[in-house]
Parts: sequence; structure tokens; C-alpha cells
Amino acid sequence: MTAARAAAIVLRKEIRAEMRTRELLQTTVTFVIIVVVLFSFAFEPTAAEARRYGPGLLWIALLFSGSLMLNPSFAKEQSNDTIYALRMAPVSPFAIYLGKMLANLLFLAITEAVLLPVFALLYNVSLWPVLGRLLIVLFLGTFGIAVTGTVFSAVATQARMREVLLPLLLLPVLVPLLVASVEATAELFADAPSLDRTWVAVLVAFDIVFFATAWMLSDYLLEE
Amino acid sequence: MQNFWSLFAAYLAFWAIFFIYDFTVARRLARVEKDLAQMRQQIREP
Amino acid sequence: MKNRWLFALIIAALFAFAGYAVFFIAPDEATMHAIQRIFYFHASSGWAAMEGTGIVFFANVAYLRKRQPKWDWLAVSAVEVSLAFWSVVLVTGPIWAHPVWGIWWAWDWRLTLTLVLWILYVCYLVLRTLVADPERRAAVSAIFGIFVFLGVPLDYLSIRIFRTQHPQPVLFGGPNSGLDPTMVKVFFSCSALMTLLMILLVIERYRLERLRYEAEEMRLVIEERAETKSQNREMQRRTALGG
Repeated sequence: MTAARAAAIVLRKEIRAEMRTRELLQTTVTFVIIVVVLFSFAFEPTAAEARRYGPGLLWIALLFSGSLMLNPSFAKEQSNDTIYALRMAPVSPFAIYLGKMLANLLFLAITEAVLLPVFALLYNVSLWPVLGRLLIVLFLGTFGIAVTGTVFSAVATQARMREVLLPLLLLPVLVPLLVASVEATAELFADAPSLDRTWVAVLVAFDIVFFATAWMLSDYLLEE
Repeated sequence: MQNFWSLFAAYLAFWAIFFIYDFTVARRLARVEKDLAQMRQQIREP
Repeated sequence: MKNRWLFALIIAALFAFAGYAVFFIAPDEATMHAIQRIFYFHASSGWAAMEGTGIVFFANVAYLRKRQPKWDWLAVSAVEVSLAFWSVVLVTGPIWAHPVWGIWWAWDWRLTLTLVLWILYVCYLVLRTLVADPERRAAVSAIFGIFVFLGVPLDYLSIRIFRTQHPQPVLFGGPNSGLDPTMVKVFFSCSALMTLLMILLVIERYRLERLRYEAEEMRLVIEERAETKSQNREMQRRTALGG
């Protein structure tokens, strides 16, 4: 079985499991909206302020929800004892990683699809004119979160206190991604919006370097 | 000497950090060595 | 034990000499005067910390390839020692910055990067305390360590671009910024000394990790023995009853 086919099977399994209960999406979407609403209480943003702080708030909310959402990705295999089945499956560990990573990417994308309109509404930012470019930045940032988060989810599963540990490991490692995404988004919220080439390049570099590292280290993720 | 106290504080901080660190390592070493000695005896005894 | 004191004595003597060099041999800096002398501890600690960080990465990769516990011992030792050196950098930096820049902290790329790396190494040590099985602990922390190290250039890149919109308060720019030759000499002796201190501390910490491992192994042996002994006793009792 090729890696791509195996990854597709894992992806389909993740989606089916999620669609059965929708536990993960329900909780994450609710959480991310709570975060955005709480931020608006804390800052009471005017339109000008929203433009200054908005990108930061958006990405912090996404990072937090990502670090919560990614936790069960491997933890549920552990608590259901299905991790043994995954280990014994005649597919490469990278295929399993890839399937899970794509599933997480999809779930994060769904969360963003709900988050964006709410964010635009509460903070009076008009996203429509820059939507296409914003989606590019969002995709690059979310891809980085999913790539790194899925690896660290497997890492945290093997430790105690994994729910607290995952954000602890993930958030500081994502600092370059956060800086680049926030700056690129800020350029899009400016009076004359533009897609900043430098920041997009940093995001692409982050995605490539971390994805390649994840690929090289994937053999060690599932072993016992 | 201008800013002498800042310089002094920095020098002191430098020493303090290494003393404290080395102290913790030495203490941990002592504990492990004690454990090891105890266990060696335990193995030899019966 | 004797060696330990001898080492301590040599180190103390070398540091006394370095202190003498820093305070009396090195010339006075024209605009900053005395406070500039922090530079000798601060920057050379930074060098040692960077060397330690390199050792960590090397040991992490070596562990995943070779699977020998010694690489894990080296990695954790180097992380702890680098953390101590990074702490020196982070503490002496603001002490220097306050009289010179007028502020304790600036979000300059160097400062930010050091702080992020410091936090990541603390996370590395926290992660290690939370995994019980030694082999899993070693593998998991090696994976995390590699990600941390590969993130550093990206961190550098992003922070560098991000922060250059602010004026960069860099007052010394390395060897080609016109440092006085005596200053350079004193600085390089300090760096060599710091590297030596770093290596000695890593060796000591490594020994601790090795002994811990031995103690763990021995504990398993003792437990196993106790178990077989109680089993034997049970067997004897049963045969005695049966007979």
C-alpha cells in the first residue's frame, strides 16, 4: 500500500470518528469564539484599535484553540488502546502521521471558517476585499500549526499531564510562525492592504523546514 | 568608577548563578551516590 | 572527591586571573567606562551557551540514530548547563542595558531570541520530568530538542525582520567594530575560560545522569531478587506442607 493511500485511509477514519460525535469541533469552535469575545471585552476595540490588535488576537485565539484541539489526536488512540493497531498496521508511520496531520488541518480550517465571520463582525474589520490573500496566509499558518502540533501531540501522549504539556511545548516553538502570521495579517488589515512577500516567505520556510523534520522523525513517533 | 555597583551586581549575579547551579548538581550527586552505596550493600548482604 | 576540589581550585584561580584581566588589564571604554566591562562576562557566557546549544543538538541527533543512553545523558547535561549560561546572559544583559540604553529590556532580536530559547530549554526539562520510562523519555526529548534547534534560525529570521523597524541599539558589533586589541585579547581569554567551565560542568552533570541510570538499573535488580526470593520461600512452604 502506498503512503498516500494509507494516509487517505487514516484521514477518512479520523473524519468518520469525528463525524460520529462531533465532540472535537463543538468544543474547539465554542472555545475559539469565547476567546474572541473575551478579548473584545478586555480591550473594547474601536475600528482603529481593532486593526492594530486584531491580527494578534486572531492568531493567539487560533494558536490556543489549536493547542487544545490537537491534544486528543494521539491521546484518544492511547486511551482506546487503538495505538497498538496503528503500530501493527503494515503502513509507514509517516503515512499515519500524514493522515492525522491532514485531519487536524481540516478541523482547524473548519474552526477558522466559523471564527472569521464572528471576528469580522465583533471587531468591525471588513475581510471581504482581502479574503483571497487572507486565506493564503491562514492556510500557511494553519499548516504550520497542524504539522508541528501533530508531532507534539504524539510526543505529549507519552508523558503525564499531557493536556497541560502540549501547549507548553507547542506555543514557544511556534513563535516564528506567530510573528510571521501576525505581521502578514496586519499588512492585509492596513489601509492599503498588500500581501507581504517577506512574511509569506518566512511562513513557507517554516512550513517546509518543520514538515521535513516531521517526515524525518516520524519513524520515532509511534514506537513503544 | 562610574556605574561601579551595576558592574559589581553583574559580577555577583554571574558567580551566584554558577554556585547555585553547581550546588544543586553536587547535592543531587550526593543523593544518588548514597542510594547507590546503600543498594550495593543490600546486594552484598544476603 | 579530591579531583572535584582540585578542579574547583583551578577554575577559581583562572577566574581570579580573568577577573584581574577584566578589571585592570582591559582598557577603559571611551563612552561607557566601567560598565562596558560586563561585556567580558556577558558575551563570553553567550558563546559558551551557544556551544552548549550545539552540543545538545548533536547529542539529540546521535541518540535517535544510535539509541545509546549516553547520548541522552549528554543532551540533558548540555541543556542544563546551557540554561545556566543563558541565564547569565539574560541577567547581566539588562544590568548593562539599564545605564547604557536607559531601559532594562528592549525587544531587540538578540534579546528576544535568547529569551525564547531559554523558555524552550525550560520546557525541555519540564517534559523530561513527565515521562517515566527512560527510553521513551530520551526519544521524546530528543525529538523535541531537534525541533527547538531547527526553529532557532527561523526565530532569528522572523524576529530580525520584525524588530528592525525599531532603531537597533547595538553598541558593539563583534570583532570588526573596532575593538581595542587588548580588549579582544581579554575577551578571547574569557571566552576560552567560559568554554572550559561549560565543559567541566557538562562532565559533572553527565556523571550525575550516569549514576542515576546505574541506580535505576540496580533498583530493578534488587526488586527482581526480592521477588524470586519470596517465590522460593512460597515454594518451600508448599513442599513442606505437601510432604
